[in-house]
Amino acid sequence: MLVDLETLINDERTNRLRALVGEGDQLGLITSLDGRQLITLMLSSRGSIRCFETPIEGSTYRSLTTTLPAAHWFERTTWDMFGLRPEGHLRLKRTHLHDEMYANLPAPLAVDARCETDRHVYDFLPVQGQGVYEIPVGPIHAGIIEPGHFRLSCYGEIILNLEIRLGYVHRGLEKRLTSVPWQKCPLVAEAAASDMPVANALASVTAIESLLGLDVAAPVNAMRTIALEIERVAMHLSDLAGLAGDIGFLAVSSSFSRLRGIALQMAEVISGSRFMRGYIRIGGTARGLDQQVRSTLKNLLPILRQEFLQVVDFYLDDQTVIDRMEGAGKVSPSFAREFGFVGVTGRACGVPYDCRTVWPHANYPNRNLKVSVETEGDVLARARVRVSEVSASLDIIAPLLDQFEDFVVSHVSVPEELMKQAVGLGIVESHRGELIHLVATDENGRVKRYCIKDPSVNNWTALAIAVRNNVVADFPLCNKSFSLSYSGHDL
Amino acid sequence: MIYEDIGMNLLAYLIGKGVRTNKVVPQQLAEGVMGFPSITGAPCDSGCNSCADVCPTDAIHMEPEKIVLTAIDRGACIGCGYCLTACPTGTLKNDPGLDVWTYNREELVHNRPGASETTNPALKAVLPDSNAALATDNSSTASSVPGKQLNKNKRFGRKTGIYRASLAIRVVSTGCSACDLELAAASNPIFDMDRFGIQIVASPRFADVLLVTGPVPKAMHEPLRSCYKAMAEPKLVIACGTCAISGGVHANGYTQAQGVGAILPVDVFIPGCPPHPWQIIKGIQAVRNL
Repeated sequence: MLVDLETLINDERTNRLRALVGEGDQLGLITSLDGRQLITLMLSSRGSIRCFETPIEGSTYRSLTTTLPAAHWFERTTWDMFGLRPEGHLRLKRTHLHDEMYANLPAPLAVDARCETDRHVYDFLPVQGQGVYEIPVGPIHAGIIEPGHFRLSCYGEIILNLEIRLGYVHRGLEKRLTSVPWQKCPLVAEAAASDMPVANALASVTAIESLLGLDVAAPVNAMRTIALEIERVAMHLSDLAGLAGDIGFLAVSSSFSRLRGIALQMAEVISGSRFMRGYIRIGGTARGLDQQVRSTLKNLLPILRQEFLQVVDFYLDDQTVIDRMEGAGKVSPSFAREFGFVGVTGRACGVPYDCRTVWPHANYPNRNLKVSVETEGDVLARARVRVSEVSASLDIIAPLLDQFEDFVVSHVSVPEELMKQAVGLGIVESHRGELIHLVATDENGRVKRYCIKDPSVNNWTALAIAVRNNVVADFPLCNKSFSLSYSGHDL
Repeated sequence: MIYEDIGMNLLAYLIGKGVRTNKVVPQQLAEGVMGFPSITGAPCDSGCNSCADVCPTDAIHMEPEKIVLTAIDRGACIGCGYCLTACPTGTLKNDPGLDVWTYNREELVHNRPGASETTNPALKAVLPDSNAALATDNSSTASSVPGKQLNKNKRFGRKTGIYRASLAIRVVSTGCSACDLELAAASNPIFDMDRFGIQIVASPRFADVLLVTGPVPKAMHEPLRSCYKAMAEPKLVIACGTCAISGGVHANGYTQAQGVGAILPVDVFIPGCPPHPWQIIKGIQAVRNL
């Protein structure tokens, strides 16, 4: 989608955005293009987008966090990457650039890098009282997981507070995306979080194709939809396997990871890669579809569906499983709305927001899509949402396979240049939730800002809230149930 | 009673499924699956630069004057397949091989058949200087096990090294989790790497091998070093995935994400973005000949 920038002056910003939130809009992202302005994206569930540009003189602006809590993480990141300081933010700390490592680094994405000289050692929120102690976890974890630091303040076995410190896998991806030619952007964007390369590539090409004014053929869009849904099935299965593993239910865990193999086989059949790397390209897909691929997919789909339902029977109805998952890691719907939790996390506490029903990407929006919603907001609810989404995704793929002809990849003439001084947007429902890619071009048609908002940016806060008053032993289970991406956040 | 029912049914299901691990270790990826691009003998069109133009990581090197494809650096290639689509002359073809691991960074560079390695000065520049890597590391040994060149044995079966009976691996992820997922898949019932005596352990104190995924950005330099220091001698390092080898798409940025080689001495390189579980298992098995 192309969006127009509306100018909104700093003094009116808080009131205007508060009014919009009152009308039911939600915050998409807050960032800056080059450190001289703020960009605020407001999304309404009716499918309209407002993108505000607020010119900033100097390096401070009034924080939104006290009126709009969802803004808190975005403001911290904007301070980190652009040196723009939100006045009145209650817990202003670095999110990406660690003070110890990058003491002398000027804000990396700002044009006239206003070096912040007050980088100091990160201080965790102290929790005090007799018998309160801290458990530091990470950055390197015990299993095969990405790095991040958790500081658990506990009283006995009960977690009183969790502070999450990320940024260990900050690789400078957004800067890299503006320095490579735009033709290579989808490939580099895939590396933002390689467990969802299809979603990232799809968001990237959706934004770039809108800047090119390029429409893709219907079969291509159908295959992109199928790829996105296969990825969702594979990753949901991986998360369900992880949840089963965390409660020690290994038979189900390894059964799910075996079933994930079938989903990856489907991925391999259509793209030649288990993760569908490099499959979605600007203007098309890397491979076409022929009769053989179609029949292999059609054979695998019922097998996967039947075996999945069989394993699920052993899983969420088992009393021992319910005992561990019910009531653990509970998030209330009011928190979910206030902090703007997206994806499975939001839907498990009754927020029926699914990008596939609202925003154009691949074959979507499909307003008739049934959104899986649970109301409890605990680990069990999130597992149930995943189970019903796996079935729903399989239901999307099967009929779609009959709706278009075989095609071979033909050369699509991609225009040479991007639209000048425009903003393109790609919003995709990844398996984690709402993924936004924002691409802004300068007066020469070069990409001057490439912003990625991973769904985890919203949802990390959910983990911090959910583990309060849970026992320490449930922390890994809660963490897994949100399925958060470290690299997607850190970029 | 309910517990018992579900337990029995589950057992019946698992036995009834008859799931078996792959008994035969394949030598190649399945047909149609993308491996690395490799250079055939077919000559390039004069002046054609299509493959190098589309490469996101500059893994493809051309002869500077004549513009002829001379080498592909698998340590930088992310296997996206763009070059295969772009090549008009059939000079590049898909290589489905699974034995992609090497003991040396230099061996990951595949030259055009017949071309000598020294022809390309640009290529020389990207390969890390092994001495420079060690200068930043406090430990004194380049490789903790001597004579690794002599023992090079690519057979999958019998092992000759000190780790032939069992191997404990500590995994440190510093990247985007695709390699981690493939590593986890290598332990699933299909690939089942545990049957070879390979196990993933939860502490560096138990580990023989440090396996690193991801490009190791600046914030992970120190944690990675301290993890390595916590391991007992003899210890080895595996760089798993393109990022861990060269930094991949993240190389040369302000976060100094240049791969493991810049921090620690590496013994085995497993390229791929991400490597296939078989490629990972074969790479890990290679350690056991050291």
